[in-house]
Amino acid sequence: MPVAYTTFPAYSRAVPEPSVQPAALEGKIVAEALIASEADIKSGLADNLLRLWRYGLVLSHRRDVADDLVQQTCVRALERVEQFETGTRLDRWLFSILHSIWLNEIRSQRVRLGQGFVDADEALVVDGARDAETHLMANQVLRLVNALPDAQRAAVFLAYVEGLSYKEVASVLDIPIGTVMSRLAAARAKIAASVSGEGVT
Amino acid sequence: MNDKNQILSDEELTAYIDGELSDTEVSRIEALLDSNARAAARLELLSRSSLPFKQAFEPLLAEAPKARLDTLLGTPADAKPAPERFGRRGFLGSLAACLFAGIVADRAFISIRNRVDAPDESSEWRAVVAEYLALYTVDTLAGPSPSGEAQAAQLARLVDKLGISLSPEAVSLPGIEFKRAQLLQYDEKPLAQIAYLDPETGPLALCIVRSDVGKQDPDVEGRRGMNVVYWSNETHAFMLIGRIPIDRMQELAEDVRKRTA
Repeated sequence: MPVAYTTFPAYSRAVPEPSVQPAALEGKIVAEALIASEADIKSGLADNLLRLWRYGLVLSHRRDVADDLVQQTCVRALERVEQFETGTRLDRWLFSILHSIWLNEIRSQRVRLGQGFVDADEALVVDGARDAETHLMANQVLRLVNALPDAQRAAVFLAYVEGLSYKEVASVLDIPIGTVMSRLAAARAKIAASVSGEGVT
Repeated sequence: MNDKNQILSDEELTAYIDGELSDTEVSRIEALLDSNARAAARLELLSRSSLPFKQAFEPLLAEAPKARLDTLLGTPADAKPAPERFGRRGFLGSLAACLFAGIVADRAFISIRNRVDAPDESSEWRAVVAEYLALYTVDTLAGPSPSGEAQAAQLARLVDKLGISLSPEAVSLPGIEFKRAQLLQYDEKPLAQIAYLDPETGPLALCIVRSDVGKQDPDVEGRRGMNVVYWSNETHAFMLIGRIPIDRMQELAEDVRKRTA
């Protein structure tokens, strides 16, 4: 989404600020304030590793691929520290990096190599006491989400599990908001039909 | 199935459910929903997909290989050497995490809010129960029914937490199998769920919470494709929910109401 900047850089400097610092350093200080440091990104990554891994699992249905996705996301994020806009949410930025790695690199590679994907039903169930009712519930919800086509599944996960707004989902998936809406609507229609009777087994 | 002739598209209804519309759009849609039964029915159907997604995916976080991921950033967990991939300690750790996640998810499940139904407190617990019960299938309640003695023992556990004493006779439903009585939690308050299996229509449940709303006569409503009869006495609120036709549900509820008064 384009952002309109109201202050025109050429004019904003027209009024000389009372400077207590040597003029030559001014530009550098501004730059440091705007650009996140590598340490910031690192600590942000550390806080979000588990959520990134879970998103990787939701996209790929494979634990080893989720591991790889997180690793590559870390590398990419640290390489592109200067592209992160301070003041925006770091977790959203990391999700979009992971998503683009998945879409543009790993997924296409796997398809090319002819490596199949495991059955979605098996990959995303919660381990542990399988007969416990809680897990039964959780697994039924997971199955319904897993049964969705890839594009709808990612949108549902980001909007309803991670709680992103439509605008944020659009930005992570790099698609228009209208597309987010139609994916979520189609997913809701499908899930509603399943829970309303026919689909529940 | 997005019918072009629909007065409101699935996209609009979805955005409405998700709270993504401006006040103006919300007013416009609510006016249309009031005057158009078809649109309202479609909204009701779509809103059945408001499942506890967050809670269902929560346990997956505990399954992430945290220690290994931490090493990616050069910050080994606990400043100890990275554990080998399938070390015994890692296995026990993840098992414990699963058990813990189970507890968290269980609590969270019943405390989720339903964004579509009326937000007043006295009806919200029914929305949550309906959401929960909608996931029950015949298999959820498979297995033999408990003996009268076992039923009494299960019901006795409700006395302490809920302050209500129920005998198997008081909560029995003619022709419908008692399957179990259990204590759940809603909004930090205990909730009794007595589950039954009707051979024709599947699971149904009698649910009870403490309530200070006061005595209210039975009323009916539909939630998630199920019929609900609800009422309250001086101390507790009750609901009977299932897929049995509403007339029969009312008879069953009336019966239970008299016996538990």
